[in-house]
Amino acid sequence: MVGIVIASHSRKVAEGIYDLATQMTGSNHSIVQAGGMDDGSIGTDAILIQQAILSADQGEGVVIIADLGSAVLSTQTAMELLENETIKVVIADGPILEGTIAAAVQASIGATLDEVVEAVESARDVLKLI
Amino acid sequence: MTTAIYRCLEKINNAIADNKTFLSDLDGAIGDADHGINMARGFGEVIAQVPQDEEDISIVLKKVGMVLISKVGGASGPLYGTAFIKAAGAVNGKRVLDLDDIIALLEACLNGIKMRGKATVGEKTMVDAIEPALSALKEGKEKGKSIGECIELACKAAEEGVEYTKTIRATKGRASYLGDRSIGHQDPGATSSMIIFKAIKKFYTDEIE
Amino acid sequence: MKQGTFKLKNRLGIHARPAAEIVKMSSKYNCKVVFEANGKKAEAKSVLMLIAIGAKKDTEVFLSIEGKDEQLLFEELAEYINKGFYED
Repeated sequence: MVGIVIASHSRKVAEGIYDLATQMTGSNHSIVQAGGMDDGSIGTDAILIQQAILSADQGEGVVIIADLGSAVLSTQTAMELLENETIKVVIADGPILEGTIAAAVQASIGATLDEVVEAVESARDVLKLI
Repeated sequence: MTTAIYRCLEKINNAIADNKTFLSDLDGAIGDADHGINMARGFGEVIAQVPQDEEDISIVLKKVGMVLISKVGGASGPLYGTAFIKAAGAVNGKRVLDLDDIIALLEACLNGIKMRGKATVGEKTMVDAIEPALSALKEGKEKGKSIGECIELACKAAEEGVEYTKTIRATKGRASYLGDRSIGHQDPGATSSMIIFKAIKKFYTDEIE
Repeated sequence: MKQGTFKLKNRLGIHARPAAEIVKMSSKYNCKVVFEANGKKAEAKSVLMLIAIGAKKDTEVFLSIEGKDEQLLFEELAEYINKGFYED
């Protein structure tokens, strides 16, 4: 199954999104949250993200969804640290909450890495109000 | 017995800690007011975690980078962190640095930051302090100046870079949302770079010369 | 093509959990599955679109399925919907 990493400035946000996503997938998932600093404060930690990528990987690659600005920089730093590993890692560009939900459901039904990325990207266009 | 490189890092940490409020206030004007807090946290952890007796400078610099990417929290974490990690690569195995090494080190820092942040000069970032500092080092070397003189020139160039950032608008990071309202404010990242250069100069003057 | 209209029974309608379940059930078959309600359409392969149609209790939902196993899938989904997604 494709792994998913939630990279947020806030641990609470990452955990909350994790809870929503795993409620939908059930126990069949490979989602790892990487939010906030290790003392619980707001910020991003490239080493935490790197460890999350390693945890989430089941051999089919990992998709990372990030919240704002420097979460992307930290994620790119984490990816560079893993350059010598054989894990295929991609940052998908979509809103963190809806993107993770869409990615989680697709990954749980056996989607490929590209399909999971597409699911995150599709979240950009979904309008909520009826 | 602490190494010279460790004591230099201590000087940098002290300078950042002394300027914590100043840096956060600058960041408050055009960002989210946490640059000083983040940098102080990051460099505080550097002093706590980096080995005090490791003589291989590249090992020390790599460790600095790894701490910063994890402990700063804001954008300067991956930016400065990447800078130090790349700098380590430029001085592999060295225990003493000559002027060529210092130039290679700073060039690696700058290229790391530009790669990570996708910024160039004129975008109101730390690049506006670091690139002129690197040019000054190189010019100083061409003119046959001593290491101390070159570091002095680099500091001056960084200061001028910081002044320059006041005149332009931000196109990167949180400040970019302010557009023209960011003009008139000096960039916090360029300022912390200048503070670091000045701390290095102070270390060199106090200990090496 | 198999088609049908259903009135949703559970309070929350097609919210996150049943939406995810619909995606999973539909993915087992090679069919085009479309839900329609409140003037919006959603393909059953997109969990977000299913949630976005905003179908709640008593909403009339129109389901159309096209593909080789359309009968099988239609029956499975019909049961799932008629059982109120096993909620309440």
